Amino acid sequence: MASLAQSSISLPSLSNRPLVPRAGFSKPSSVSLSISGRNFPSIALQSRGRQFQVRCAAKPETVEKVCELVKKQLALPEGSAVTGESKFAALGADSLDTVEIVMGLEEQFGISVEEESAQTITTVQEAADMIDKLLESKA
Amino acid sequence: MSATPSAAQVLSLFRCLLRVARDFPDYNIREYAKRRTIDAFRENATLSDPSSIYSAFSHGHSQLALLKRQAAVYSLYIPSLRSVMELQQPPF
Repeated sequence: MASLAQSSISLPSLSNRPLVPRAGFSKPSSVSLSISGRNFPSIALQSRGRQFQVRCAAKPETVEKVCELVKKQLALPEGSAVTGESKFAALGADSLDTVEIVMGLEEQFGISVEEESAQTITTVQEAADMIDKLLESKA
Repeated sequence: MSATPSAAQVLSLFRCLLRVARDFPDYNIREYAKRRTIDAFRENATLSDPSSIYSAFSHGHSQLALLKRQAAVYSLYIPSLRSVMELQQPPF
């Protein structure tokens, strides 16, 4: 998030720079927050948000759908509790089951998961997070 | 050639087989390929002898090559009438 804020700051500062090069011309790569003549309160707020880490959580309906698919794949009885924090191994899934679950999720959501990311999925929440990330980058 | 495939390689082969099976335009072959790979991998999941593991892995590998070829051939001649199982709503 911090790098996004930096890139959004640099654009207006470049546009405000006068076209006539003057003596003591600062490097264009430096980001100066003192933009003369214009007031960007939103950008100033973004720059101060460097310490604040935003972790995008998956949408609840995505977690719901993932839970449904996991229950169907592992043939769990109806009342069993599958939440975001349940690990696949704790629910009785072996590695083959995990691969099948990931393939089922790929088909249901129309996404494509790479090899390395698919091997690191161990809980329902991780799967839902990755699905939302892939859907966002696709849209 | 490595003697025994690692668990990661076996899972990768499983995933590749399922992915290629998805590309078949024919419903029957698609479903059969999925079913057959799942059954075969489950049946061989408890193998412990390295040579039998290796032979099962190389068999799976040759089947993957076969599936890829057949998927390419089948997609050249897609029939206009798809299977009734693929209809979104039942005809009656």
